[in-house]
Amino acid sequence: MSNTVGVRNLWRHVLALILVFFTAFPIYVVIMTSLDPTGGIASDSWLPVKFSFSNYTKLFTDPRIPYLSWMRNSLIIASATAVTSVMIGAASAFAFSRMRFKGRKIGLQALLLVQVFPSFLSLSAIYVIMERIYLVVPALGLGSIWGLYLIYIGGAMGINAWLLKGFLDTIPMELDESARIDGASVPQIYWLIFFPLASPVLAVTAVLSFIGTFNEFVLASLFLQDVDKRTVAVGLQQFVGGQYEQVWGPFAAGSIIASIPLVIIFLSMQRYIIGGLTAGAIKG
Amino acid sequence: MIYALVGLRGSIALLLKFAILGATDALLIWIISVALGKNSIILAVVLIAATAALNITYLVKGAVPLKFLIVGILFFSIFVVTPTGYTIIMSGFNYKTGNEIDKPSAIAGVLANGLSTDESGTAYDMFLGKTPSGQWAAILEDQVTHSVVFATTDGVQPIGESEITRNSDGIITAANGIKQLSQDEQATADSEITTLRFPLGDNYFASPQGAEVALRMTQVMSYDKTSDTFTNSQTGEVFVDNGKGNFANKADLAQVLDPGWRSFSAFDNYKQLIMDKKVRDPFIGVFVWTIAFAFLSVGTTFAVGMLLALALQNQLRFRRFYRGFLILPYAIPSFMSILIWRGLFNKDYGAINHLLHTHIGWFDGPWTARAAVILVNLWLGFPYMYLISSGALQSIPSELEEAASIDGATGKQAFIAVKLPLLVQILGPLLISSFAFNFNNFNIIYLLTGGGPTDESTGAIAGATDILISYAYKTAFGSTFQNLGLSSAISMMMFFIVGTLSMYTLKKSRVLETL
Repeated sequence: MSNTVGVRNLWRHVLALILVFFTAFPIYVVIMTSLDPTGGIASDSWLPVKFSFSNYTKLFTDPRIPYLSWMRNSLIIASATAVTSVMIGAASAFAFSRMRFKGRKIGLQALLLVQVFPSFLSLSAIYVIMERIYLVVPALGLGSIWGLYLIYIGGAMGINAWLLKGFLDTIPMELDESARIDGASVPQIYWLIFFPLASPVLAVTAVLSFIGTFNEFVLASLFLQDVDKRTVAVGLQQFVGGQYEQVWGPFAAGSIIASIPLVIIFLSMQRYIIGGLTAGAIKG
Repeated sequence: MIYALVGLRGSIALLLKFAILGATDALLIWIISVALGKNSIILAVVLIAATAALNITYLVKGAVPLKFLIVGILFFSIFVVTPTGYTIIMSGFNYKTGNEIDKPSAIAGVLANGLSTDESGTAYDMFLGKTPSGQWAAILEDQVTHSVVFATTDGVQPIGESEITRNSDGIITAANGIKQLSQDEQATADSEITTLRFPLGDNYFASPQGAEVALRMTQVMSYDKTSDTFTNSQTGEVFVDNGKGNFANKADLAQVLDPGWRSFSAFDNYKQLIMDKKVRDPFIGVFVWTIAFAFLSVGTTFAVGMLLALALQNQLRFRRFYRGFLILPYAIPSFMSILIWRGLFNKDYGAINHLLHTHIGWFDGPWTARAAVILVNLWLGFPYMYLISSGALQSIPSELEEAASIDGATGKQAFIAVKLPLLVQILGPLLISSFAFNFNNFNIIYLLTGGGPTDESTGAIAGATDILISYAYKTAFGSTFQNLGLSSAISMMMFFIVGTLSMYTLKKSRVLETL
């Protein structure tokens, strides 16, 4: 009995193992590379010949590699963007889901359409705007992480309002009606009923926004020119993105360290994130 | 009742509201005052409008929805709608390298370029200074004939040798009626000096080249304001505004003057994409590959993800491990994975060549590069497809399968005939949005292959793996030639395609009806 089950399950294991190998391959190579003191990408041997943490210590000691600043910039900008964009998105979604007003339908459709526009091609226009802001308030303009933050949250309403509205729509109307009868004002309904009820979804939205911002490369590389002000994505890309000199050792070490917080966040919120991903599908 | 106790109501809420609004106002007003101080009028106007909108919204009773929307709307308008509108407008302009400035600047540029020396290239040694009344003046000595004149911006007069002082090398060091500039004065007046013109008669003038030499020049190109034409006084050619941002020779319209200006060109950029062979052929190549890339990406990731979901749907040993490990590519920051894959594919030290004992330049050939892009995208994308597939699988009632097996279907038949169509229907909207995502998947192309390999011998911009978005990016921000107008037109085409797809999906999923 158990034997036939084993045979029937064989293809499942074979498939899963092939994919495990496929998934593990680059991860394994990057770990090996990070431990290889010569700085090249692991090449001659599949097993580590020399073992050293010099690539890791280099990140924190080499004055030419302000890795800590990069990490700090990325974490600050990603957290700030996540929190702000969820606040804006939640408030917008609440209005779109719970209220009826002129321009509601057009507003929703416009949000969606503009969002579909390949927006970073309007880079030159964004650049001009940021240049003007820089001339007046340097801390908010070109080259500062707070300027980049302004651009990121500019798109927040479009991305999050739709996502969150879908969830808010599932909360029964009776709930806010009964609250209103009990004498609750609109802000109270928002803060005391919706916010707590939606908090898992808000958390997922925040995490997705955090990951998205952490990953963002094009805008960040264009706007953050100073070495100190770069994000991890831009900083690490400089090691290996060039045409000639490629420094894989520190890149690998830096990538691993930068990945750890994201992987932890992702795995710990896995259940919710998957729920959020599939909710749209199952409903449709 | 309870809400009156817990809720933010009454004076505390009011105080909080005023505190936040007040702080925001203070910040905005400070920025506005700085902006006004620095003559940044547009920014100041935008900020004043924003401040007014904020205060009206929150201080006036009613308009509750706006209270929830206003902050988002303000950011959205400034950082998304405005740039998008700019792109749309630019797609109707001839705006590229050589046509970047406005028309008055272009006219000035053509005038500056339209100077010519006389045939023998007459040059003068110049003693430059100012007359007692502060007018620019110079003693010009012809380097060949050594005739000397006194020149002002009004014209020239002869000057006797007795009025000039020379040093032992014969260089003029002083002259009556001219006071030489000090070094400092000379340095600050540098740009003014090069624009000086001392008329010599016969349409010629002496044009200082630095502080000590002048050339005998004539304005060959002259601009006539009323007819808006340039005339070349030597050849007699007339250049007219060709309506496309350049002055073109009336007799031979292909001959245009440099620089041009960015001019309104209506649908010329779109026409170029469809009619101009040099633009159209690469565009079509890129377009086809973009579609193929998006289809292949969705197809391969969905196939693998679905297979995995089927494999892991029942109890299986190590299932937890498989699940946890196989979603790692989704959790690792994608820009890092892509760059790591770039290293793995390296010809000389990449682990893939090492594994296969080959020495292949994966990114050098168009087909190997395309295959590499698809493979890397499979690695990045199959966990997502697995997650949504397994979610969808669980939502299909098991009775369906049981019914099929009672009717005599084998497991495989039941899956293909009953489950798969249902799954595709359920996942349809997500597959389409994944298609749209890959259609615009800039990062993988830019970071993995940079769009290459590119046939540089033909001067092509588009590479074998370029998709529309990376092609548009290169067109707009290329290193040697930039064509913002054309790039905007490409963006508009992409917007049209992806927008249609999205609207179709929404119609299909009936989201818009329930709005």
